[in-house]
Amino acid sequence: MRNERRRFTLLALVLALATLLAACGGQPSTQPPAGGGGTGGGTGGETPSGGPPIKIGAIFDLTGATADVGTPYSKGQIAFIEWKNANGGVAGRQLQLVSQDYAYEVPRAEELYTQFVTQDGVVVFSGWGTGDTEALKGKITEDKIPFISASYSAALANPAETPYNFLVAPTYSDQLIIAMKWALDDWKAKGKSGLPKFAYLINDSPFGRSPLADGTAFARANGVEMPLEVPSPRGATDLTPQLTQIRDYGANYVFMQNVSSPAALALKNAKSLGLDIQFVCLNWCANELLIKLAGADAEGVVGAVPFSPEGEGAQVALNFAKEKGIDYGGADSTFVQGWTAMSILVAGIERTLKDGKELTGENIKNTFETMGPIDTGGVTPPVIFSTTDHAGAKALRMFRVENGKWVAITDFISAR
Amino acid sequence: MQSGTFHTSYAGDMALRPYWVQRLRIALVLVVVLAFPWFADRYWLNLANTIALAAIGAIGLNILVGYTGQISIGHGGFLAVGAYTAGLLAVRLDMPMWITVPVASCVTALVGAFFGLPSVRLKGLYLAIATLAAQEIIIWLLTHGKLLGIGESLTLPRAANNLFGISLADLGNNDFVFYWITVGCLILTVIFVSNLFRSRTGRAFVAIRDQDIAAQVIGVDLFRYKLLAFATSSFFAGLAGALTAHYRGIISWERFTIDTSILYLAMIIIGGLGSVSGSIYGAAFMTLLPALLSNLARATSDVVPNINSYLPYIQQGAFGLAIILFLIFEPEGIVKMWRNVKDYFRLWPFSY
Repeated sequence: MRNERRRFTLLALVLALATLLAACGGQPSTQPPAGGGGTGGGTGGETPSGGPPIKIGAIFDLTGATADVGTPYSKGQIAFIEWKNANGGVAGRQLQLVSQDYAYEVPRAEELYTQFVTQDGVVVFSGWGTGDTEALKGKITEDKIPFISASYSAALANPAETPYNFLVAPTYSDQLIIAMKWALDDWKAKGKSGLPKFAYLINDSPFGRSPLADGTAFARANGVEMPLEVPSPRGATDLTPQLTQIRDYGANYVFMQNVSSPAALALKNAKSLGLDIQFVCLNWCANELLIKLAGADAEGVVGAVPFSPEGEGAQVALNFAKEKGIDYGGADSTFVQGWTAMSILVAGIERTLKDGKELTGENIKNTFETMGPIDTGGVTPPVIFSTTDHAGAKALRMFRVENGKWVAITDFISAR
Repeated sequence: MQSGTFHTSYAGDMALRPYWVQRLRIALVLVVVLAFPWFADRYWLNLANTIALAAIGAIGLNILVGYTGQISIGHGGFLAVGAYTAGLLAVRLDMPMWITVPVASCVTALVGAFFGLPSVRLKGLYLAIATLAAQEIIIWLLTHGKLLGIGESLTLPRAANNLFGISLADLGNNDFVFYWITVGCLILTVIFVSNLFRSRTGRAFVAIRDQDIAAQVIGVDLFRYKLLAFATSSFFAGLAGALTAHYRGIISWERFTIDTSILYLAMIIIGGLGSVSGSIYGAAFMTLLPALLSNLARATSDVVPNINSYLPYIQQGAFGLAIILFLIFEPEGIVKMWRNVKDYFRLWPFSY
């Protein structure tokens, strides 16, 4: 026993040393692409013609609480970089994505962000969750790193406070207000009298609660009773108690600020309870994954979809995925969303280089603020940033699930 | 015990580190600690700060679990109390860091003592569940924080980061400046806790751990000392939490969930229960493991294609594997492994 133990001790010591050595060996900043992502990491491998590769940092959630939509989003981002490089890169230079999974954990996000910015020297960054984007906002401002996150929290849209955060979709607050506008119209169109009652079924996180204050203010201003707030616990396997609470409150419309899997669970539970309630999904559950998971129970659900999987821009992305055999689990709109967010980030870099300016965070930020509308090929309305407003998109269309597909039911609506 | 050392005075007998080898080692460690920030870049400074903060928290938990034998899975909640107390003081009352941090630590000590009350009646698993309740109650209060007027997250004003009127922002970059603060606090914590277990109070804690009924029979006031253990432990949790709040500049409850409590338990189990240096080893191990794995994957991604797509699973697996391997081969933790290595060389070439 003693011998065995000593051998293990020595073995562990050697292993620790080896790990340490390897880690130190990995420090020089000329690293191979870290964003292989399962599709043959050819990113940035070719010899660049117009200078060194441009480094873009990204953190993805592939194993954490929001991995269901995080995975197709990450595939979209990686695919865009590959596509761009295959088409000659940016001004003759290749793009290199430095990315890693952070499991939706704030400390991990801080660590990876610091590593990518200080050691790899990335010039722009693509983030993911609300909690971690807000945790990083101070550092982002200090480091002057233009940052496009998949979180559209309204708290990040004011350049006076967060000058380097850019939002490429309507803020969660706007999404909720647009959804409420639709709900009020729908109530009237159905010829019902009085006002409907609203409830929220949300992810139990800063992401879930982000739009509630603004949404409630809008509802109250329109005379609607104080909406009921019901958080759905992380990792729940049954939402019947939450739905019963909503039923007892008498809600007519339930707004879901959540990712697809828990939202699909809610729809299934609601079906078995026989609830006659209109469910409305905001961005992160209004996608094909919801239909895949909830099946027929998703029929009739309405969604605020800021990134339409139709339009020519989306076709380029989807065709590229088909050609390369990229498997994103059928979540077309989420894949297109990742692709589009990255394309906007790269558009800023491309324009900065075209204007003959040096590629610094400050220059890219100024370019974003002055370059005018960025065309996304019909995926979103043209995205415009200004020095006073970093919420690039203001309008979206409402969709409904009909025969297992999202179908647009309104034109572009904006919150104000 | 080393032979050939004879204590000729009471002071020599009482010394915390009686042997010159130990003193030399402390001197060497201090030199490395003092030299490190001048050579490290921000990434490594960030990691070092994370380790130092985790180590303060882990030492706190070790006082309770390792030395006093009271299981707690509410440590994340106590960290949150420290962080939010410091945060609220800084935001609402514009207090500087040198006031908020001690106040937050004391408040956390009181809250910890309050949630330690069940320990008087409960032991083992039952106490674990009671502390789990503490964790959940604290996080519930924060997520439904309308009572306290807290939003989803709390941003601390930069101006709060000052020591006795000197603004930290003027002294250099955030990671560099906080290195001195976190490491300074860690050193003070280590000195305090190492000495605590040479005192009457510390001995009472250990007596309670080894056999509480016997301790009571020889005159240890169980009620008082159990609460004191909870308070001391929570004091350091509060210290770690408050420093985290000031260092990160923004806090949200997501940082202090049950997962955090379990991570801290894992740290002290892997590092070594009932050992101050073990807590530091454990904190370093748990912080560096994912970082080293991801660096390793990056370094080898030339040789092993697609390693990055497996990395998340490797990281998750490594965490569990590390705990299981330690429990099987070295339940006494890293601190015991270090001792084995020392013994091996000291006894070489004779293995006994």
